[in-house]
Amino acid sequence: MSERVLLHVGTPKTGTSYVQDVLWRNREVLAEAGILYAAERFDAHFLAALDLMELPWGGLQSEAIGAWDDLAARVRAFDGTAIISHEILATASRAQIGRALASLGHGDGTEVHLVLSVRDLVRQIPAEWQENVKHRAQLSFADFLDEVRDPERATRIGSWFWGVQEVPEILDRWGQDLPPEHVHVVTVPPPGGAPEVLWKRFSQALGLDGVPLDLEQAERANPSLGVPETTLLRRINKRVNAELPPADYRPLVRELLAHQTLSRRRRSPRLALPPALHPWVSQIAASWTEEVERRGYDVVGDLADLAGAPPVEQYADPDHPRERQVALAGVDAIKTLLLDDARLRHDVERLQAEVDDLRGALERAYATPSYRLRRALYLRLEGSLLGRTTLRGYRRLRGRSTP
Amino acid sequence: MSERGWAWVEHLRRGGTTPWASFDGGPSAAEDGYLPGAQQLELLRRLNLAGSPSPDLVERVVRASAPGRGRPDLELVGAGPERRFGPRPVDPATLPDAELLRVATGLLATSVVRTAPAPVEPRRPRRWRTRYELVGDPWVATPLTAALTADGRPPGGVGRAVLVLGADLPTMLARVWADRALRGSVPPWPEFVARVHARDRLPRRVDLVEVAARQRTVAGTGRVSVVLDPAALPGLLGARSLPPGGVPPDLSEAAGELTRQVATAVSLHVTPPEQTDLLERVLLPRLAALAPAGPPAPRPVVPPEHRDWVEDAAARLHRDLVRSGYPVVGDPGGVLPGPWEAHGAPQSVLDLAVRLLLERPSEVTA
Repeated sequence: MSERVLLHVGTPKTGTSYVQDVLWRNREVLAEAGILYAAERFDAHFLAALDLMELPWGGLQSEAIGAWDDLAARVRAFDGTAIISHEILATASRAQIGRALASLGHGDGTEVHLVLSVRDLVRQIPAEWQENVKHRAQLSFADFLDEVRDPERATRIGSWFWGVQEVPEILDRWGQDLPPEHVHVVTVPPPGGAPEVLWKRFSQALGLDGVPLDLEQAERANPSLGVPETTLLRRINKRVNAELPPADYRPLVRELLAHQTLSRRRRSPRLALPPALHPWVSQIAASWTEEVERRGYDVVGDLADLAGAPPVEQYADPDHPRERQVALAGVDAIKTLLLDDARLRHDVERLQAEVDDLRGALERAYATPSYRLRRALYLRLEGSLLGRTTLRGYRRLRGRSTP
Repeated sequence: MSERGWAWVEHLRRGGTTPWASFDGGPSAAEDGYLPGAQQLELLRRLNLAGSPSPDLVERVVRASAPGRGRPDLELVGAGPERRFGPRPVDPATLPDAELLRVATGLLATSVVRTAPAPVEPRRPRRWRTRYELVGDPWVATPLTAALTADGRPPGGVGRAVLVLGADLPTMLARVWADRALRGSVPPWPEFVARVHARDRLPRRVDLVEVAARQRTVAGTGRVSVVLDPAALPGLLGARSLPPGGVPPDLSEAAGELTRQVATAVSLHVTPPEQTDLLERVLLPRLAALAPAGPPAPRPVVPPEHRDWVEDAAARLHRDLVRSGYPVVGDPGGVLPGPWEAHGAPQSVLDLAVRLLLERPSEVTA
């Protein structure tokens, strides 16, 4: 039975990928320190979360079957501290949370701690739109903002956004059965600070201070796109969504174009919250801060971080981008696709040569004169009722059914 | 926690049908924890309205979580103190069908997975049998091949006759959609037709001339013919008749849509090949059993804005078929659309799901 489980449930875009990469790469070091990060593959906790929450994910769900129960069993069997981390857990329903906590030993002697990392909405809102665009979304930034601001939250976009971003509500769902001192809120520092600050906060919340972790090789974050690059991607989505299946979209559009090509264009204007929305966001941040303080959770960092940066001086609207910038991003995208296509053509030529060799060998095996004669006769007989009857009689006499 | 809310849960558990908005309380057995979501409770009310759900089913509905993305479990409006955060509470009667369907399809999926009978062992292959391969229309070719295999007539063999199965193009499009619905890899019918139209290309398996041409190049194949007359199939396959249940009845648009959604939910429990197998063996017979006696349910109808394209594509297919010289069993004009059927009143997918859930009152919970 685990003594302690640290459950990091989000939110997205708060350095979670980096934390998970550090934990994954340092599994053995952690084990020596008596800490379990139970994972056979880097996305093991993502799969477990999909399984727990019954989320289809472009076919990946078939790899997730039973993943939560497996993870929970390993955690229960471990004598020490276990860490589980994935940001989509933030949207779990109360029923799913009840099942998750029970399966980890909550109420049965295990001390469960909840960790929620949070970032200001000034950065989260554009980041979530960009993430949607990287997952095939076609809607404009303005439409996305309308859906997010709709108090009904009836759309897929609105309900998911607040499900993973509304800090007091996530804490209420996940923390309903936990004492407040077991709920740790990690704030992401304002932009421009030293990147080590966030890791130090995570390290404190997850009880990793003093563990000799190797942080050098971990990947820092999901690469982000600028304004023209995101616009280009959205236009690509409009053109290809009907024809490109998810299994092809993932490697070609999200990985090859977005992550490996467009995210490297760092000089284009960055996505930002429209200045007119800052008062609305400030109001929300203030209410969240007040609520988190009132509930008495353990805050690692500073709740003032939730206020976010002031409006940018030169706002670049992704719905009305500078077309020259979009065109230049498009040229880079075409270059990448051409180079990749050339590589694939070489692969196809090589494989075609192998197929030709094999087909030649097969045809030589079938090319004996007697085989050709029998095949011609067979095809002629198959073409008429009398012929088929004759063939049946022949087979019966011969004792097998091939000619 | 809301006494009125728990009283409504109790009312629904006992088979009550009063909507939340007009429910004025009653005996309650307040429970620990949280009230079930508005989606689950409204689905239970709809089940009560449509029939008598078993106690097992009632508890499964109350405890269910809806699979997939959508609105979270919602609270009942007026059931408790106003909350500062979280989604707004709702009057469950105003929830759109899609929200209730998410819960229903999750329940149907677990039911399909848990109640599947063991697959029937195929009989030993017959010694003397016609060598064949069925391709083309997947709604017929795949299950018929499986049924023939179970009957001791597996496909394949050198010199096999390749039968490219076809029908009129609107029917083939509807069947391709239904077949892909079993795999959960297709959008709803109107979007599917729009995509086929946008691509200006027939789905691979029903581009009959292309299929025949591909088969010609495959080593070991014999005569390749296109079959547009289903009555000729037994003779071509060397059988007196087709195995019973070999060709499933066509799905209506509502049944196809429900199948599509249940397939996605089933994919959360089993691997893709198992998913298709389970849906074919468990869900399709249940859907067929629900169909009323009389004429079969109408297949999905091509929306008017795509009919010109379908007519043109069918004409091209007919022309290519005649020019290609492949032997055709039946009339080559059989690929052309008949008169367009009028759109009938759309059948509710949710109603169908509710009927399916009620169909097995003795279902056992896990």
